[in-house]
Amino acid sequence: MSLSSLFSQFMGGLTAAMFLFLIASGLSLIFGVLRVLNFAHGSFYMIGAYMAWQVVHWVTTTTGHFWLAAAGAVIGVAILGGIIERLLFRYLYGREELYQLLFTYALVLILGDAAKFTWGTEQLSVSRPSILDSSLVVFGTIVPEYNLFIIVIGPLIALGVWLMLTRTGLGRMVRAAALDREMLDALGANVGWLYTGMFMLSAALAGLAGALVTPIQSIVPGMDVEIIVQAFIVVVIGGLGSFWGTFWGSMLYGQVLSFGILIFPGFSLFSVFALMAVILIVRPWGLFGRPIR
Amino acid sequence: MRLHHLGLAIAIAAAAPFAALAEDTIKIGFPMPLSGPTAVYGVPVTKGAELAVAEINAKGGVLGRKLEIVSRDSKANADEAVRVARELVIKDNVDFLAGTLTSAEAPAVSTIAKENKVVFVAPVAKTTKLTAPENLHPYIFRVASNTTIEGRTMAATVAKWTDVKTVGTIAPDYAYGRDAVAAFVEYLKKLRPDIQIVDQQWPKLGEPDFTPFITAQMSKKPDAVMCDVFGGDFVTLAKEAGPLGYFKAINNRLVDGAEVGTVDEAQALGADYPYGIISDTYDPVVWAGGNEPPEHKAYEERLKAAMKSDYGSGWAIQGYTAIVALAAGITKAGSTDSDKVAAAMLGLSFDTPAGKRTIDPKTHETLAGEFWGEMVKDPAYPFAVMKSPTYVDPQPLMN
Repeated sequence: MSLSSLFSQFMGGLTAAMFLFLIASGLSLIFGVLRVLNFAHGSFYMIGAYMAWQVVHWVTTTTGHFWLAAAGAVIGVAILGGIIERLLFRYLYGREELYQLLFTYALVLILGDAAKFTWGTEQLSVSRPSILDSSLVVFGTIVPEYNLFIIVIGPLIALGVWLMLTRTGLGRMVRAAALDREMLDALGANVGWLYTGMFMLSAALAGLAGALVTPIQSIVPGMDVEIIVQAFIVVVIGGLGSFWGTFWGSMLYGQVLSFGILIFPGFSLFSVFALMAVILIVRPWGLFGRPIR
Repeated sequence: MRLHHLGLAIAIAAAAPFAALAEDTIKIGFPMPLSGPTAVYGVPVTKGAELAVAEINAKGGVLGRKLEIVSRDSKANADEAVRVARELVIKDNVDFLAGTLTSAEAPAVSTIAKENKVVFVAPVAKTTKLTAPENLHPYIFRVASNTTIEGRTMAATVAKWTDVKTVGTIAPDYAYGRDAVAAFVEYLKKLRPDIQIVDQQWPKLGEPDFTPFITAQMSKKPDAVMCDVFGGDFVTLAKEAGPLGYFKAINNRLVDGAEVGTVDEAQALGADYPYGIISDTYDPVVWAGGNEPPEHKAYEERLKAAMKSDYGSGWAIQGYTAIVALAAGITKAGSTDSDKVAAAMLGLSFDTPAGKRTIDPKTHETLAGEFWGEMVKDPAYPFAVMKSPTYVDPQPLMN
């Protein structure tokens, strides 16, 4: 096996990891702060993809339409997330986990049907933005520019969210809310809108991932459930509620998947599930999580 | 008194046709995935079946009775398909069954047909197991192609590329993909013993990211590729593989027998379609070679109107054909009795918009071939079209 083919396998894993991170980070954030395991998070991703397609479909003439589509998807999904949080989600806080899971699963079905009703069942597709539609040769391997763009943008967003959480007043509030909601409420902070804001941020991240994935994957009904399973695995590997855990969990997942396919071609799914099983046995709280007492 | 009787008789006679109309439709249960990712096929196949029913009814129906489709969502799931098929037979009292999409659903529904002695026509499922000798029974018929035909047609295509010495395969990891690849490899070994299979990739059905499979395959440097990835999965594969230089590395010598040559697929991919590959479709819809049969053109116009779509669908014809086959069987039998229709369908010939089909009495299949061709850019269309679609008769390949 040549070095260049190992490198291209690595780059493939890295691209996959960045998408997973964008989605799983929102899932992890919602669990960390709102304490709800949001099964419908994958639906935001799917709707982001459909919204991006919709914008591209409307704005066909300009060259920058893909970026407009990405912005549209982020804003659209954030607003949708905000509405869902205000109208429905807020009644879930503090409820039993089983109840939450059932409720968010019902949301998956409702949003899935709504998407089908709006955009139909045909597979849809968006072309790469024109400034990123060629490929570069790196270490003797062809790497699509768009994949490089994804690999750069992933860590930038990770850094941005991390800085927001650790270096700003808003972040301090969010962390306080995660620790003790009632205390923060008693201190006069508007926890309700803080939660809505967090929910919108997490939905926006999923919407962004959905929009960014459209140039390289098809938009089909069912992509919501497909991605949420992977995002769950990533969050479990990294540690529930741990931000950097989600980042490194995604990186590990991407590489294990990519090299698993190269090394055991007949058992493409085996490697990631083996990884999850091993981590669940050795460190049930995940790589970066803390054991729950 | 007599007058009174006459009045009653007139009243009964007058009411009878209405009662007959309500009672006497010939009901065809049609389980098909109408939700989930495979609804992209299930919906057009059902539309095709509905079109055939509307046309037959407009001409007076079959044996003077109207046909009626009782549509149900099978969710592409074998258990659900069995449940709805059983319900259709027992509760809705359907006379016949047609439908199912995947190679998981069709064999499952076939057992229901056998149990209840109801004729069942499978329009799409390709697995050879459906009509294998151990599973064959008097009531199962198939108007779809099968994985043996598909695998062998692909092998014959690859065998013609004389400078190809190494081949890779990539196919979804379930019955359909496994069967087709096995048929392909076996037949290719016979035709070209000098060709080596250097790589086999098995992404799962619905795989969201093909990049690692593509780069892993490229590292083995095959000269050509046999691919059986389809639908949304093929859209993803093509969009990821193009920029990675996959199609360039194999000089576009990729053959895909999973109907990625349909207009449905071409429209989904738009300008990202990997031009130059060889693929197939039951119905080219757009005949770029100008060799379109006139009866096809007329059918396509009716389909576009029925589907309210610019290009219809390459899948609708399978639902259409299933209904035409059933109607021909009922007409020949002169009855809706399942045993009589089942017997009448053996050796039955009927016309479809894509040509004449005959049900082989031994295998209960029409041995449907498909239209194959190179997928090319055509300035007249905003998507890839099949260059001079050619019907490949599977008969010579089956020996």
